Amino acid sequence: MRLSHAGTFAVMVLLLSAMAGCAPVLLGSYVSPGTDFGALRTYNWASTESLATGDPRLDNNPFFHERVQQDVEKELAARGFEKIGTGTPKLRLHYHASVSQRLDLGGTNLPYRACDSCMPFMYDTGTLVLDFVDTRTNTLVWRAWAEESLGGAIDNQEWMEKQIDETVARLLEQLPRGL
Amino acid sequence: MRLLRQFALVALSALTLSGCATLNVSSHVQRGLDFTQYRTFDWGPADALPAGDPRLDKNPGFLDHLEGAVEKELAVKGFERSGTQESADLLIHYHANISRRIDVNQLDRDYGYCYDETCGALVFEYEAGTLVLDIVDAKTNRLIWRGWAQHGVRDVVDNERRMADTINKAVKRMLARFPNGL
Repeated sequence: MRLSHAGTFAVMVLLLSAMAGCAPVLLGSYVSPGTDFGALRTYNWASTESLATGDPRLDNNPFFHERVQQDVEKELAARGFEKIGTGTPKLRLHYHASVSQRLDLGGTNLPYRACDSCMPFMYDTGTLVLDFVDTRTNTLVWRAWAEESLGGAIDNQEWMEKQIDETVARLLEQLPRGL
Repeated sequence: MRLLRQFALVALSALTLSGCATLNVSSHVQRGLDFTQYRTFDWGPADALPAGDPRLDKNPGFLDHLEGAVEKELAVKGFERSGTQESADLLIHYHANISRRIDVNQLDRDYGYCYDETCGALVFEYEAGTLVLDIVDAKTNRLIWRGWAQHGVRDVVDNERRMADTINKAVKRMLARFPNGL
């Protein structure tokens, strides 16, 4: 997919509304113009930086971090990317996870009374950003992000794992076609 | 009468919402691990994240109660405190984090204290305390279990008795989720 303006974001935002009252999933990605992914088939992880996620339950939580990494590796293996342990890979990967509160106005901002007991409410969202860096030029060649509401997905380990699986799959679906 | 009812509701909200009075507890665990191999524990060094809060980390009353409660509960579960870090099977550390959060009357609605137009969108900020308990396999240096307990801090941090109570409940409920291999 060719971009019309060099250096501008080609943001494909898919708004998928989930169940009624739930927040949508926000997806987007960026491809650096002219990137030849055919030549960038090996990767390894950048040293894991410890940035706070904004939620103490996830900070330095190996159950969370390892699931993200394993899922990314699985998706990449299925697409023919090779993780290499020694030597310099073509790509270096890292990801950022953060949790924040968002406000949903619940319909109270509508000009007419759409519902009698509309109420605003707060909910937690998780954002996952995945970066591919070209090790030769040390520049970002691809980035994908997803933000979705969390519900109880941190307290419940199985729910968290399932949500990570789905989110990582959605992230990597945004790789340019043919990969 | 309506005014009195409204006042009562507001007063009740203030009470309920004064610091989010529910205790939320959960945990993550390493799957497929044989927990029967662990017999002894000791307190170990904490990593940098999650970040703690000096109101708790530097509060000797808090630390005393917490360490006492954890040691007591582990003893009940059949673990022994080893003499040194080197000889322990498990190393334990904790993080006491405080984060600011916003609520929009949700608790009142959840508890049925208000349900129609009398329930205005009362926006307020509160401080949520999260106590994280990390249990590490001393040989592999891997985290094998993490438990946490969340509670509003406002009424708890300044009141020693209530703080001790909350810590005891939190530690008990957290460690109930630790796989008792014995």
